[in-house]
Amino acid sequence: MSKPVIEVKNLEKVYEGAVPVHAVNGISLTITQGEFTALKGPSGCGKTTLLNMLGGLDQPTAGSIAIGGVDITTLSENALIDFRLRNIGFVFQAYNLIPVLSAQENVSFIMLLQNRPKEEREARAQQLLEAVGLKGKEDKRPGQLSGGQQQRVAVARALASKPQFVLADEPTANLDSQSTANLLDIMERLNKEEGMTFVFATHDDRVIKKARRIISIEDGKVLSDD
Amino acid sequence: MFKLAWRNIWRNKGRSIITIAAVMFCVIFAVVLRSFQVGVWEHMVGDIVANNFGYLQVHQKGFWGDQSLDLSMDEATLDWDAMENVPGVRSLVPRLESFSLVSTGDNNRGSLVLGIRPEGELSGLRLTDQLIDGRLFAPASNEVVVSEGLAEYLHVEVGDSLMFLGQGYRGASAYGQFMVAGIAKISNPELNKQLVVMPIETAQWMYNATGLLTTVVVDLEPNADFAEVKAALEPLLGSDFELLDWEQLFPELVQTIEADMAGGQIFVTILYFIISFVLLGTVIMMVSEREREFGILVSIGMRKTTLAAVTVLENLMLLVGGAVVGMAAVKPVQFYFKYNPIDLSGQMKEAIEQFDFEPKLYTTTSFLINLNHGAIVFVIGVLVSSYAVWKIMKLNPVKSMRA
Repeated sequence: MSKPVIEVKNLEKVYEGAVPVHAVNGISLTITQGEFTALKGPSGCGKTTLLNMLGGLDQPTAGSIAIGGVDITTLSENALIDFRLRNIGFVFQAYNLIPVLSAQENVSFIMLLQNRPKEEREARAQQLLEAVGLKGKEDKRPGQLSGGQQQRVAVARALASKPQFVLADEPTANLDSQSTANLLDIMERLNKEEGMTFVFATHDDRVIKKARRIISIEDGKVLSDD
Repeated sequence: MFKLAWRNIWRNKGRSIITIAAVMFCVIFAVVLRSFQVGVWEHMVGDIVANNFGYLQVHQKGFWGDQSLDLSMDEATLDWDAMENVPGVRSLVPRLESFSLVSTGDNNRGSLVLGIRPEGELSGLRLTDQLIDGRLFAPASNEVVVSEGLAEYLHVEVGDSLMFLGQGYRGASAYGQFMVAGIAKISNPELNKQLVVMPIETAQWMYNATGLLTTVVVDLEPNADFAEVKAALEPLLGSDFELLDWEQLFPELVQTIEADMAGGQIFVTILYFIISFVLLGTVIMMVSEREREFGILVSIGMRKTTLAAVTVLENLMLLVGGAVVGMAAVKPVQFYFKYNPIDLSGQMKEAIEQFDFEPKLYTTTSFLINLNHGAIVFVIGVLVSSYAVWKIMKLNPVKSMRA
């Protein structure tokens, strides 16, 4: 049996206001090594909030999140940033690459923050860009790449730090069919060949069809887990 | 990190160039302003103090306050050798100075009479370079050199005679008739209006003060610190003497300089306030434009302190770049106006001459001024950057990525 990578217990997120909003309402789940999981649900159901909390970007109101056995809700801000750097890869809907850096530099940047040697950074960035089908585009800046190519750079960047898992928030929302198919093929291959764990927040059927586990969320609760 | 900061600077070339130009012109303007201000005073102090009165003067105690010949000192009571051997002392210049009514025909004027030995004098009173007509008086002769302004007032020319009438040492009458050997243009306007220079022996004879001096000017080596020399000289003088530095000799001049500098400082401060707000505007725009990017960088694992350091580095590169270009660009201007001062004319000239100042605007070439203003811009840069640091340190990555 695969070891658990993410263990969530009774997670809650309440946005205070005139009327408090329970964005995440008592979710418990476990993600194990090598999963290819989609969190699906309509807009506003709480899947992005859940994903942000899994990635340590947002603090829960209650409950715990253990990643590789470490409860990230108890970490200080700097410890959490360092933890994200070493354990979690992110792929965002809007690619979110650094515009002034080339594709290769965007991928290397995470490793630079990890203080890895230059040779290792360059070699791994090359290898990852080749793996996502961007050989020859290493020196292009984000503005010189298509949306699909940028998102592939984002995937390569997410993998550069050798994380325990990758969180992808609507990674195909801005892509055309062909780019979506290419990106999903790449992520599926990395999942199968390298055992990388992927968790998607999506309402794109093309992604959901590829997922081996689908967690449906509605009103901040798990509706089904198949 | 340097590469990231450098590229961030050039992602918005127009804004960066405008910022660099604003800083550059601010530094140029501030340095030019201060250079003229310091340069004018430097020249004036150099002229009045270094060339005419000296940085240090020895008198009989109380002379400078009373300006009375009765407070003269006997040449023989001073330890000349010991004083001349003090490090920093180039020479000792003896003078006898007093006042006299000088007249010729129907014209007369109260004048400052200075008895000197021209060959050992400070450069402003060696007279050879200042003579515009005639020649220098012969040693111990009955000849005088008259300042240009006084000669014009009295309508005298070389070869004319002047009558002197005044009070000598211990109430004796002081009078004499001397021939004008030469007319000299004295750079200090005040002196140029009223100075008569004669051999020291002649002045001692006229004032019945043989062997007496009112002043010994301490001529310093170039770059000697007058305060250090003063401290070394003081023990060599007894309690009957006073050793005054130029700030004690001319407290009004010091106050005038300080008041003028303070006025200039206010103007420069206003200038820096304006430039600070220009730079703050740039930083606020930069932070606003890149809030989302800051959120991404923190999300993927960049510490806020590292991100803040990159942002500060960007701002400092812009500011230091502008400041260095400004500091360098203004240098030729400083050199040009040091050697080609602006001649004031019209009402401005008259107003300045009323205060006995030379109506010319000089600059200083001291690089210290450039460095000071470069440092001020650096400090402004750090202060202005603190806005970006503050925004980054309180950044919420999720909210920022939605920006």
